[in-house]
Amino acid sequence: MRHYETTYILRPNLGEEQLTEIIDRTNAIVTNDGGSIICLDRWGVKRLAYEINKESQGYYVYLNYAAPGSTVNEIERIFKIDDKVLRFLTIKLGDAMNAEAIEAEKQRIAEKAAASVAQSEDAEVDEFDSETLEDESTED
Amino acid sequence: MSQPKKVFSRRRVCRFCTEKDVTIDYKDSKSLRNFVTERGKIIPRRIYGTCAKHQRQLTEAVKRARQLALLPYMGATQF
Repeated sequence: MRHYETTYILRPNLGEEQLTEIIDRTNAIVTNDGGSIICLDRWGVKRLAYEINKESQGYYVYLNYAAPGSTVNEIERIFKIDDKVLRFLTIKLGDAMNAEAIEAEKQRIAEKAAASVAQSEDAEVDEFDSETLEDESTED
Repeated sequence: MSQPKKVFSRRRVCRFCTEKDVTIDYKDSKSLRNFVTERGKIIPRRIYGTCAKHQRQLTEAVKRARQLALLPYMGATQF
């Protein structure tokens, strides 16, 4: 079992039913191969930085899972056939994954989600800009 | 002699080394935008002084973000 994350982009005009169908089908591939899903995150419709297949928007789905390598092959094979999927990217996060590590990862993601919620409540400050200004003032 | 040395002492240190809690993530397109030009090019490390290790991670992250259309390959600005 290895630790992977896959982000895929679906066409935005599919409708809730078809979206759920594709997501469920992908999840089923993972679980049928003996893998387990750690985190499924729907980012929703976002503007694409460039057009893909004449679409300027896309529905992003992020999937974090532990599964054997053959699962990735199968998922990507299905994605390539399906023209409702605009783009996908799979990243290997870790070589070995057991039940304990899966639990730890789930907890880590939950903590991160909680932290990001807290952060978004704060006023958004452009950290980078303020830092460069500081740097310049010290140089004088 | 002291004049050129001062130029070197002004060199910035890598912000990923100094701030441990800042992570490089290809999904975080908002913060990656700081490291590309308006035209979408990756800014060389001689500008911000990021260390080699983190610049490598940054490059990887930007390229992944481009694949997912989170960042443009080129030309965000209009003529």
